[in-house]
Amino acid sequence: MKAVPGRVDLIVPAGTKTAGSGHQCALYVGTCGYSYTEWVDSGFYPVNTKNSAMLGLYSRCFSVVELNYTWYQMARADAIARMVDKAPEHLLFAAKLTRTMTHERDADWQEQLVLYCQGIAPLKKRLVAVLVQLPPDFDRTIGNRNYLAALLDGLQEFPIAVEFRHVSWAVDSVFAELERRKVSLVTVDEPELPGLFPSLDIVTNPALFYVRFHGRNSTGWRSGNMQKKFNYDYSEEELRSWTEMYIRPMAARADRGMLFFNNHVQAQAPRNAQKLARILIDK
Amino acid sequence: MKERSVIHFNVADFAVSVERVVDSGLRARPLIIAPLQAARAVVYDMSEEAFRDGVRKGMALRQATKICRGATLLAPRPALYQKAMTAFLKEVQNYSPLIESGFADGHLFVDVTGTHRLHGPPPDIGLRIRRYVRTHLGINPIWTLGTSKLVSKVASRLVKPVGEYIVSPGDEALFLAPLPVALLPGLTRQELRKLEEFHLTTVGALAGLSRQQLKVPFGSRSDYLHDISQGIDDSAVSTSSSTTQTVDCEQSFADDTNDRQEVEAVVVDLVSRAGQYLRARRQVARRVGVWLRYSDGSHVVRQASRRVGSNSDFVLHNLALSALQRAWVKRTRLRSCRLVCDRLHKQSPQLLLFPDKGIKERRQEKLLGAMDTIRNRFGHQLIRLGSRSSMADGVRSTIH
Repeated sequence: MKAVPGRVDLIVPAGTKTAGSGHQCALYVGTCGYSYTEWVDSGFYPVNTKNSAMLGLYSRCFSVVELNYTWYQMARADAIARMVDKAPEHLLFAAKLTRTMTHERDADWQEQLVLYCQGIAPLKKRLVAVLVQLPPDFDRTIGNRNYLAALLDGLQEFPIAVEFRHVSWAVDSVFAELERRKVSLVTVDEPELPGLFPSLDIVTNPALFYVRFHGRNSTGWRSGNMQKKFNYDYSEEELRSWTEMYIRPMAARADRGMLFFNNHVQAQAPRNAQKLARILIDK
Repeated sequence: MKERSVIHFNVADFAVSVERVVDSGLRARPLIIAPLQAARAVVYDMSEEAFRDGVRKGMALRQATKICRGATLLAPRPALYQKAMTAFLKEVQNYSPLIESGFADGHLFVDVTGTHRLHGPPPDIGLRIRRYVRTHLGINPIWTLGTSKLVSKVASRLVKPVGEYIVSPGDEALFLAPLPVALLPGLTRQELRKLEEFHLTTVGALAGLSRQQLKVPFGSRSDYLHDISQGIDDSAVSTSSSTTQTVDCEQSFADDTNDRQEVEAVVVDLVSRAGQYLRARRQVARRVGVWLRYSDGSHVVRQASRRVGSNSDFVLHNLALSALQRAWVKRTRLRSCRLVCDRLHKQSPQLLLFPDKGIKERRQEKLLGAMDTIRNRFGHQLIRLGSRSSMADGVRSTIH
């Protein structure tokens, strides 16, 4: 069988948590976004790499990528279809929900949702999840709960992963509802700061668990500057420890796991992703 | 060549947006901004609601108020719009020194190429600036990102009045292909008409023709048309210290006129004002533009340029007359005439080893120097070049 870059089939031995006689989980390691000029400067992409060549080079190392430009602007079917056509067959995609439905909610969000669903349609079977990232001020009020329920209803034709940033959502009733809806709760690694959603090894969808490594830059986290916020280099020690504490227990309860690095500054994300893949292979 | 990242910000109906920040009661209502005291006022700006009713910039106010009866009328406040524009620019300057902006019109290009290590990916810069401007200034600009001014400009025309658009590098031609040719910037009415006659309605159809094929109907413009249809635009984002600085003079006629001699006399007067201004600042201009505004609200702009800059009235006059000749395409009477000298740069302080001017030019230079001295002391109207009709007062001279 041809090796798939960035994919590790983890066999969790019997006796680990709920696993019985051994369970295989396909883990895909990747990054949040792939189109960074900085990754050329930092040597991840060869010198003079053009933007249009980046996805092809990326897919030599990884088999999944999280599309973050769909957060900045509404997904457009023609642009996504062109990207999918150019991408190698083994590459899978996660697509972030547009900010007009999360961070800057407009009154016409339902129309936006229809446009978004049409926009990502060309991803078809290569879509691993729609990532619904909710902003830090989105707390668990009745209004927000109703909004989220309506949003998830609107996206039900797709696999969904939900990332909370506010700690108020870390309650059992929320996890139970996500489980009922077969929606993946995103497990995050981020700085230990008050008010942030904690790192949890909860699996709400046995078909998929979803992890985002944001880095642990506590001084830059609230600076408003991405270059400071996501400037963090995970050590081997930290990744090994995280694997034992979170990835292995979650892999024992899911068929597939997506592990994305968001610390894009100085190409730390792809390097850390490769480092984690090596650690997982060693297991 | 390094791929560029050019962001275009565009506040639709800038003057209206600023007025609505000042008075929130004006929101969601048709609004027309025009000089209310003027007998023949034309529309300066209008809201989206008024636009939908058919009101257009430059339309006679009387006609506009007939079309859009419920509209609120306001007199323009250019100083207020300039203040808002300055605040907008101040925020953008935090991200790049390469900014090209219009004069208080809510348009600007920002070249953020190479700033990623400091400020992060270009889409994030666009979004952050928009957020700041929306939160702190109360206006909501469109922002678009492309590899050139052309692509980002077309993208913003596509999403107007609100929104954003990111055109991925390498996707330029495919992005442009299905769009109507009218969205391409820099095309004249005649060129658009000609394209329509050839049934070249989309950019893709235009892109399908070679330079040689385009040469037949479009002559020297064929290269430009070919390049823009392919999404090729190497023009730099020019900062205010270079091409966006202009010398701008305008004169409104006491009565609308289509008397060529009278218009030429006005052009001569405008040239002498611009020339004096340039000489005082030791600057030279390489291009002169003539704007003719007609009594029906329309206008025609034509330019003439030369390789070597000049601040001589005699040289600028020739350029201006050449531009006027090209602009003289209608028999409709004129309401005003505007002269714009741009592509300015500093006059070289270095003296040449051998004089590059003939006796005639040196005499003209001396004459202009003497006239400037007299004008500085006794006023511009005191001395003029001969063989001209007298000028009406009311010349407005501004430096942008």
